[in-house]
Amino acid sequence: MNRYIFAMALSVLSLNAATDSRDVLIDKLLKEVASLKKSVDELKKNQIVVQKRQDESDHYIDEVYDFAEKTETRTLEDKLKLGVAFKTSLDNFTKKYADGHSVDSNNVWSSKLMLNVKADISKDMKLYSRLSMFKYWGSSIEQLYTEYDNMQGRVPSNSSLYVERAYLDWFLNRDGYIPIAVTIGRQPSADGPSHQFKDNTVRKATYSALLYDGAADGLVFTFDISKAISNKHSFLRVGYAKGFEYTETSNDISNAFVGPSDNNLKDTNVYGLFFDTTIPNIRHSLVQLSYSQINDIVANQLDINTTKNVNIGDISMYGAMVEVSDFHNSNIDMFVHYGYIQTHPNNQYYSTYGGLLNSNNDNSSKNGEAIWLGARYGFGNRQKYKIGLEYNYGSKNWVSLTQGSYDIYNKLATRGDAYEAYFMYEINRYANIRLGYIDINYDYTKSGWFVGESKSMNNVDTPENKLKELQSIYLKMSVNY
Amino acid sequence: MKELFLKLIVLFLFILDLNALEIEKVVLDLNLSAGSKAAVQWKRVFKSEKKMKRYKIYSLSDEVKMKLEDYLINHAIDSDQPTVAGGF
Repeated sequence: MNRYIFAMALSVLSLNAATDSRDVLIDKLLKEVASLKKSVDELKKNQIVVQKRQDESDHYIDEVYDFAEKTETRTLEDKLKLGVAFKTSLDNFTKKYADGHSVDSNNVWSSKLMLNVKADISKDMKLYSRLSMFKYWGSSIEQLYTEYDNMQGRVPSNSSLYVERAYLDWFLNRDGYIPIAVTIGRQPSADGPSHQFKDNTVRKATYSALLYDGAADGLVFTFDISKAISNKHSFLRVGYAKGFEYTETSNDISNAFVGPSDNNLKDTNVYGLFFDTTIPNIRHSLVQLSYSQINDIVANQLDINTTKNVNIGDISMYGAMVEVSDFHNSNIDMFVHYGYIQTHPNNQYYSTYGGLLNSNNDNSSKNGEAIWLGARYGFGNRQKYKIGLEYNYGSKNWVSLTQGSYDIYNKLATRGDAYEAYFMYEINRYANIRLGYIDINYDYTKSGWFVGESKSMNNVDTPENKLKELQSIYLKMSVNY
Repeated sequence: MKELFLKLIVLFLFILDLNALEIEKVVLDLNLSAGSKAAVQWKRVFKSEKKMKRYKIYSLSDEVKMKLEDYLINHAIDSDQPTVAGGF
C-alpha cells in the first residue's frame, strides 16, 4: 500500500514538473516570436528605405544615361575634328650683297593660319587635311612663286586659303605581323623633323626637312615592321609622288580641264624608300634613312611653252637623320641630318638659264651634300623656357625638295652656312613666343635652284644682285590648338 | 685631348642617367592610360585627393606627381599627336 501511495505521489510530482517546463518553453517561444516580429517590422521599414533609395538611384542613373546618350549623340554627330594653328612673325632683315652694299627690310610682319580637319571615317580609314593662309601684312600682291605646287600655302601670298594637305590613311591588316597603311593624296611632307622643336610641337610630317619640305601629291605605302625586326616604331615606306603634271586647257576638246599630254615635256615623277626606326633603349628617338629618285625634272613648272620648257634630267637623293627628344630626361632635344645628291643631266637646257645645275652645253653630273644639326634645352618651371641653336651647311651643288620650306628663308637649301639661335617662352601648352636670330652666308649662287650653274660669290657677273648674307632678328608667336 | 673629350661625354651621359626618371615606367606600374582622358580631365584628377587615391597617385612624391601630370596631359586623348603618313 505504501509502495502504491509513493508511486502515485511521484507521478503527480513528475506531471507538475512537466507542466512547469512547458510554460517556460511557451514563454520563451513567445518572446522569440515577439523578437522576430520586431525584426520583421524593422526589416520592412528598412526595405521601404532601401526601395526609396533604389528608386532615387534608378532615377539618377536614368538621368546620367540620358545625359551620356545626348553627349554620345553629339560626339557621333561631329564627323569632323577641327584643330587650328596660327603664327605671326615680325622679321627685321639685313641683306648684304656680293658687291658689299646692304639693304635693310625692317618691320616685316606676316601671319599664317592653318585649319586642321580630321575625319575618323572608320577604325581603318582616316582623312586629314590642312587649309592654310599665309601672307605678309598689308600685301596686296600674290607673290612670285605662290602658284608652284609645292609652295601653295607654304610661302607668303595673298589671303587665299590653300589646301596644304589632304590625304587618306587607309590601314590594312592592322593586327597582322606586318600591318600596312596606304596614304593617298596631298601628303604630310612639310614641316617635318626636326622643325617641331622650334614650333614646340610634336612631329608634324614624315620626312627629314633637310630633304623634303613642301606640299606634295602622292601615294605612300607604310609597312609597320616593328615586330619583324623586334624594334618598336620601325616603319618601311615606299612612296611615289608626282612632281609635275603637264596639263593645258585646249579649245580643241570639249572638256577644258583635260589637257593633252605633250611628248616634249615629260611629267616629273618622284620615287622614294624610307626607313624609320628608333635607337634601342633611347626613348623618343628617331632614325631615318632614305633614298629618293626624282626623274625628269622640269626646268620651270609654270612655263607651259613646251618648245622652250624642257626636262633637264634626274636626281638621286640620299638622306640620314637621328633625332632624340628629352635625352635621358635632361630636357635636351638634339638632332643631326645629312643629305647627299647626285645629278644625272640629260643634255637639255632651259633657254639661257642652263641645265640641271649646269651652264649651257655642260652635261656633267654633279654631287652636293648638306648637314643640319641643332639642339634645344628646356629650363625653368616645367621647362617653360627654351633655348635652341641650329647650324646647317650646304655645298656648292646642294639642292633638295625644300622649296615650300618651313621658314621664309629656305635656310636648309643654303649653299654655304646658316646659324640660328632662339629663345622661347611657353605661354601655355598651346602657345609660345620666340625671339631669334638667323644668319645665312651664301658661298655660292642659286641656293635652292635646280636650273643653272652655281658659282662662287667671289666670282659672279652681277655682284650687286647676288645676295651674299641674310640676317634677321625675328619675333614669332605660335598658337597650336 | 680626344680621349678627355670622350671621357667627358661618357661622364655627362652617366650623370644624365643618374637623374633619369622613367615616367613611362611609373605610368605602366600604375596601369594608367594617358589616352583614356582629355587633358582637362587629367588636371581634375590631380586636383582631387580622392581621385588621386583612386589612381594610386596620391602617395607619390611631389616631383613624380608633377612629371606624371605633365606626361598624362601631354599624351591625353586631345593632345597634339605626331603626324606622319600611315600613322599607326
